[in-house]
Amino acid sequence: MKLKEIEKILGAEIITGAELREKNIEMACGSDLMSDVLSFMKSESLLLTGLTNLQVVRTAEMSDLAAVCFVRGKKPDREIIEMAESKNIPLMTTPLPMFESCGRLYQEGLSGCSEYKR
Amino acid sequence: MELKELIQQLNLGVRSARGHLEREVTGGYASDLLSDVLAHAQEANLWITLQVHQNIVAVASMKNLAGIVLVNGREPEQETVEKAEAENIVIMVSAMPTFELVGKLYSLGIPGMER
Amino acid sequence: MPSDSRISKVQELIYEIRVGEVMKTDPVTVTPQMPMSQLREILREKRISGTPVVKGDTLAGIISIEDFIKWLADREPDCPISEKMSKDVQTLYADEPLTQAVNKFEQYGFGRFPVIDRESQKLRGIITKGAIVEGLLRKLEIDHIEEEQVYRRRIKHFFEDILADRVSLFFRYEVAGQDFKRAGEGASRLKSSLRRLGLDPQIIRRVAIATYEAEMNLIIYTKGGRIRVRVEPQEIVVRVEDSGPGIPDVEKAMQPGYSTAPEWVRELGFGAGMGLTNIRKCASRMGLHSAVGKGTTLNIHIVVENGVTRGTEGIDSAA
Repeated sequence: MKLKEIEKILGAEIITGAELREKNIEMACGSDLMSDVLSFMKSESLLLTGLTNLQVVRTAEMSDLAAVCFVRGKKPDREIIEMAESKNIPLMTTPLPMFESCGRLYQEGLSGCSEYKR
Repeated sequence: MELKELIQQLNLGVRSARGHLEREVTGGYASDLLSDVLAHAQEANLWITLQVHQNIVAVASMKNLAGIVLVNGREPEQETVEKAEAENIVIMVSAMPTFELVGKLYSLGIPGMER
Repeated sequence: MPSDSRISKVQELIYEIRVGEVMKTDPVTVTPQMPMSQLREILREKRISGTPVVKGDTLAGIISIEDFIKWLADREPDCPISEKMSKDVQTLYADEPLTQAVNKFEQYGFGRFPVIDRESQKLRGIITKGAIVEGLLRKLEIDHIEEEQVYRRRIKHFFEDILADRVSLFFRYEVAGQDFKRAGEGASRLKSSLRRLGLDPQIIRRVAIATYEAEMNLIIYTKGGRIRVRVEPQEIVVRVEDSGPGIPDVEKAMQPGYSTAPEWVRELGFGAGMGLTNIRKCASRMGLHSAVGKGTTLNIHIVVENGVTRGTEGIDSAA
């Protein structure tokens, strides 16, 4: 699924990395615990999270994630956006809560990190 | 939809308050941040989380949630189970991560927001 | 590559590349005896605006569409091309640098120059402005790819070129305790460095995740410490040290989910007791030694049997 499709399904706004709209997202994961993200997420996947701090971008950088989407209308501050820009990690924000975001994406056919088979 | 129906459909393990599985679930809330759940979860929501320590029971009780599902194969701590039994909070477990479990609950008709 | 270095690269290239490398070989040619009336067909069919006139292998002149139009306009009777062609032809040698061609295009304003062999004086090809641009672009592209390949395999060369019984690279990062803003900077800098050295991406990911978790522990629980990384052809060792407070029960600390983190750390997305479990998952081997009041040392070994440059053992299979 392309980033731009996720943008549409979630009614999301791309905060940074709009030029990567065509990027392919293989799977997704929803978590507010970065250790879990580091432990279970596969590279090239989308992280949905309610956390907005620098560690989210750091975690995405370490795990080679494809993009991060903040849920429930959360918007990161300038510092976070700048770090994401420098690491080439697209950030987006959706007004939907986590449960609704996961539900819609799953229904539209995006896989979770444990189901995905390479 | 009742808890026991979801438990059966999604093969969830039950870890506490087995006598309260008739509880009606009207929606879902997924979060690993207690403050977020306190602020935004609705009554009779099913709460999906990775958190296992006993504070989750207090949060569920305070918000009158329908139950808690621990994902990614997490098991509740002993104190958490004891507290949940005392407060009649149903704790369930699933091997699935949040994204998939929520996806399946959603397909069964559990919404993530008021419609 | 920044644009100004691209420009200087082009400047270098026009001195480096020879006319013969970018010219069009086997150009369309005509003979001096061919009648002017036949020229139109050739120019139209081949979509060219001029062509060398060749006698045998030797350049006799050049005839362009302008010459042809002039002949038509003057309503002269048909005649051999040799009567209307320019005999005084400006040419380039195949072994001249491109800069020579660029100068000639500027000086004469012609659309093309025949290229001849310096020794035999025979026609070798034809050069146009388009061919120069194309040749430059091609060369830039190749250089870029080669540069990336060299870059990617840098560490391999490094390990192969140094003659010693043992070759190691050392890195060291200082980590300040409680500095949540800068948390992960060490791991981030380490990751960029390993990438620049050209290590296998899956190996880099394991090293980065393990180091990041260890760095978070330093920040959450200690007054700070240091991360030392040793890269060898078959192994990467990350050693994380602090000077206190130390872990009272190491065995308990290793249990998944066990955590002494305060609530504010949990709200930041850490402190769920998965850090050490995560590190162990990324590591081939791990050692944790702690003395209360003195400090803790964590050794993370990532062994790569078939070499750090070409690991097949990814994080998925290690998990």
